[in-house]
Amino acid sequence: MTSPLTPEQILARAPHEYNVPRGVVQAVLRAPQNLCIALLKLYRTIVSPLYGDVCRYFPSCSAYALEAFTRHGAVRGLGLTVSRLLRCHPWAAGGIDRVPSGGREFVSLADTPKIVLLNHPNLVRDHAHDCPARHHAAQGANAR
Amino acid sequence: MNFFDIILFPFRWIVSAVLWVFHELFTAIGLDPAWGFTWVLSIVGLTLVMRTLTIPLFLKQIKSMRGMQELQPEMAKLQAKYKGKKDQLSRQAMAEEQMALYKEHGSNPFAACLPIIVQMPIFFALFQVLRSVPKAAENNESIHVLAPNLVHQFNDSTIFGAPLFSTLMEPGSGNHAATITLALIMIVAMSATQFITQRQLTARNMSDSAKESPMYRQQQMMLYLFPLIFAIGGINFPLGVLIYWTVSNLWSMGQQWWVIRNNPTKGSQAERELNERRAAKGLPPVGMTKQQHEEKLAEQRERAAAGQRQQPVSKKRQRQQTKKNNG
Repeated sequence: MTSPLTPEQILARAPHEYNVPRGVVQAVLRAPQNLCIALLKLYRTIVSPLYGDVCRYFPSCSAYALEAFTRHGAVRGLGLTVSRLLRCHPWAAGGIDRVPSGGREFVSLADTPKIVLLNHPNLVRDHAHDCPARHHAAQGANAR
Repeated sequence: MNFFDIILFPFRWIVSAVLWVFHELFTAIGLDPAWGFTWVLSIVGLTLVMRTLTIPLFLKQIKSMRGMQELQPEMAKLQAKYKGKKDQLSRQAMAEEQMALYKEHGSNPFAACLPIIVQMPIFFALFQVLRSVPKAAENNESIHVLAPNLVHQFNDSTIFGAPLFSTLMEPGSGNHAATITLALIMIVAMSATQFITQRQLTARNMSDSAKESPMYRQQQMMLYLFPLIFAIGGINFPLGVLIYWTVSNLWSMGQQWWVIRNNPTKGSQAERELNERRAAKGLPPVGMTKQQHEEKLAEQRERAAAGQRQQPVSKKRQRQQTKKNNG
């Protein structure tokens, strides 16, 4: 794998967040997840810029929510999002607070959706630096 | 009742209760309960209550902004590290390191998401309460705390002949010209205040490095899109809702003007302006004590007075010169 891709190129080529179904049953089962992902993406383009940076955490609440729904589906995603929002109050210290690992597996960096890359910026930067050993590093960072 | 209505129920109850309290209050001080302006003032009162409730949060934020000055040296180091890196991933990595820094120092300049998210259902609840008035009046029902007779009164009230519950698209049975004029004035006011608030925030209170981020470009785009969204939404909103929104936007504009003027972001246009004003009053710039500032000025003056660099002098000549001066 000799990929001279720069971090920006990797980001630009990153797949979307939707959990593409195979078959009708899966489409129905994954509909709530994909609907929530669509709504969050809409929120992030229209409502987020209205307020500017307000979140006391990294990733921001909406980025966290989008990753949570992308990784863990509608039910767990909702639970994680609500608990994060309750934690993001004016008396909280803030800091780095990532979505727990697990849920959907992203085999390589090229399969990892954009929001996950944005929430783990060092994943891509490390990848660009050392190509051979990156795969394990990426998975390790992913699990963190 | 669907899921959305169940969540909004407590908020709707609160909204109707606040409206009722204000209406009773204004009636008690001698205003005609059926007069349109009594109801308009009740809506304005509701807006002010909602915005006043968030003042403690706002003051807390200001306090933590002042605490930011302690971590300036480290923040400057971080900014130097990411200087000129404009791609999204570098910005994200920088945001991540910044957050770790805030946590370490126990001061965070951001307002938090929860208060903002909580304000949204309040707005939806208000919207639902106001929109349900005509129907409730027709069915002779109450709206939570508001009894049927009050609902009728609210529904029949007019300002300048325009019913409070008419919209630009459906001016109803009242004076159509008045409804249209009032709605247009408020839509323009709403869009203008929103535009000014946003522009102030982005143009004057963002550090030059933040202006390089992709987020900034997105914000710039929204700046021009929002008045449009308001205009489209505004033609379907009853006058009562437009009053709430306009007053709320005016409040935001004033509040933000005050913050930007007195607590600007480090490295922004507003900070430079504040320091100019402080200099005119003989005060040191923000974040420096008087002594520090004077030392810095003295150093600068010295450097300016020296003009040219002192030529290096050999040890021998140095000795000769001191001898000459002393002698």
